[in-house]
Amino acid sequence: MPVVNVLTDGIGEVNLRDIDVYRNRGGYAQWQRALTELQPENIAQMTSDSGLRGRGGAGFPTGRKWSFLPKNGRPRYLVCNCDEAEPGTFKDHMLLLETPHQVLEGILLGAYAIGSHHAFMYIRGEFEQGYRVFMEALAQARAAGFVGQNVFGTDYGIEVTVHRGAGAYICGEETALLNSLEGKRGEPRLKPPFPAVKGLYGEPTVVNNVETLATLPHILKNGPQWFASVGPPRSPGFKIVSVSGHVRRPGNYEVPLGTPLRELLEIAGGPREGRTIVAVQPGGGSSACLFAEDLDLPYDFDTMAQHGTMLGSGAIVFFDETTNFVEAALALVRFFAHESCGQCTPCREGGHWLEVTLNRILSGGGLDSDIDLLLSVSHQLTGINLCPLGDSIEPFLASVVRRFEPQFRGYVRRPESILVSA
Amino acid sequence: MSVAPEQTASAERDFATTAHAVESEARRLIASYPRGHARSAMLPILHAFQNAEGWVSPEAMAQTAAWLDEPLSVVESTASFYTLFHRRPVGRYMLQPCRNLSCIINGAGDIMARFRERLGVQHLETTPDGLFSYEEAECLAACDRAPCMQVNLQFVYDLTPEKVDAMLEAMHAGTFAVPPLPQTASPGRDWHVAQEGAKAPGARGVPSPNDPGGLGDKSGVEMIERLTRDAYPVRVRPTKERLVVDGPARLGSPIGPSEH
Repeated sequence: MPVVNVLTDGIGEVNLRDIDVYRNRGGYAQWQRALTELQPENIAQMTSDSGLRGRGGAGFPTGRKWSFLPKNGRPRYLVCNCDEAEPGTFKDHMLLLETPHQVLEGILLGAYAIGSHHAFMYIRGEFEQGYRVFMEALAQARAAGFVGQNVFGTDYGIEVTVHRGAGAYICGEETALLNSLEGKRGEPRLKPPFPAVKGLYGEPTVVNNVETLATLPHILKNGPQWFASVGPPRSPGFKIVSVSGHVRRPGNYEVPLGTPLRELLEIAGGPREGRTIVAVQPGGGSSACLFAEDLDLPYDFDTMAQHGTMLGSGAIVFFDETTNFVEAALALVRFFAHESCGQCTPCREGGHWLEVTLNRILSGGGLDSDIDLLLSVSHQLTGINLCPLGDSIEPFLASVVRRFEPQFRGYVRRPESILVSA
Repeated sequence: MSVAPEQTASAERDFATTAHAVESEARRLIASYPRGHARSAMLPILHAFQNAEGWVSPEAMAQTAAWLDEPLSVVESTASFYTLFHRRPVGRYMLQPCRNLSCIINGAGDIMARFRERLGVQHLETTPDGLFSYEEAECLAACDRAPCMQVNLQFVYDLTPEKVDAMLEAMHAGTFAVPPLPQTASPGRDWHVAQEGAKAPGARGVPSPNDPGGLGDKSGVEMIERLTRDAYPVRVRPTKERLVVDGPARLGSPIGPSEH
């Protein structure tokens, strides 16, 4: 079994919330090395060379994202995105709770690499306990002299501000997150300008996911080649996958990218007794379903994209034959309708009417034509919104409507029954 | 809505005490953002008020606006965007079972049905005794232990209908592990302002036998009635002091406790 322990090393065995425990396992050594031996460019180069792609959902190469920052001497910010709310994803929540110092070390390294002196940690409002855990870790690190002025006796100073969200999935979108951080409604901004040019307070800003940043200490420690040599060339490295749904041992598993889906299913204990997996959603609530015949595909960014879906945040939900896909579709459509910020009409209205239509189907009041309506409305609202939220409705809905159409048809009223009731 | 004089007096005293307690926290929060960007502290200050009072009262929003030197409408507009801010009083226990994908395919429907049946409330409603508020929440990032929920933002995992029964009994008995929220005003039937209503058959936008299209009442009368019924006037004037530090913005420069 290819389960590895890189980011997850020590979780469940020792108390990594304690800074001394973390340091005894080599923690903050890379932070010290970075400040005393390396230039920011060295870290940026190592990150580029490692091929690390963002772990939040978009999969954009981290080194390239940093390279878009203008070299204009303006102040700049690093923001850690811990607004994890993609349905099925629970890896950042675990990293925050179990190994907050690793996350903090990643933030510090990222900030240093881009030349920032002020980093922000945006934590989802629901993670109240995680917020307290991280505040304690930050206080420990500050007391140890790892955060503040003249770190390790150098002239480098870094401040970290922790910011709690207040219940809005959309704030995981980076420009919405920046608005929320500025004390505004969490509505996404029009891009361009991208945050690298005009981000927080109008200054150059990089927003990176928790897992992305937590990977940096390991890339520094083991070298970019170590990371780049794992997995497929264009999707290198290790990834924490959150496996849930109809499996025997749901949980977070750290694996090399490129591990076949079937193997991931086995790692999570396989299907329940006497059941068969009929579908899998491989990349969070925004991704299209794959099916039983696709289980031998390797799990990496490009393979998923080639098969019409995505790796996304690494959230994998397995469905067995007992699944009611109409209810499952409603759960996700209702979610996106609820979380739409309301700026763009297609997303705001389309999501709402899809929810109404699915409710109508489920309550037995649907028409045969409603099935086509689901496909046509979800398709037409795609690609014409400011941010990807609206575009996230179609993939799962369309894939399960097409595949499990009889389930949907089974709920609708037949034309003859309407004639009789009239 | 008429307010008895003694109630006004007590509200005034209570809020003044709360505001005084939150003020030092607000100063610290504002100082943790770059100078010139005090507005960033708005969400954290509203969190601090909600922690103290159990909800974000009109007084709290007015005080936050005064401290940050922003119009009240800016604070209200921002607060209204975020579902965790309760702009009406809520129950002592905020019960939020997850209704998203991994929980739904693992029996969340039974959990929600049990809550509704035992409490006699729908989504986004508070029990008449003011003890429980009930909201079906979106993915809480604990899908490995579905169905899950939060009680006053603390996680409860691996739910079963029996576990729901035991939980509610423990809450009634005052022995539940998660402490109740503070409650400085009596909650009404719901706490969301001009937001979604209960998505029950017959509600607006949801089909029912008499209204298969689900169009419902679109006249706006219902909305006006709701707003009138739920009016919570600002009874306590905020202190006028601004906590915003003037001076040129110091973008991106390191700040720390030593400077403040």
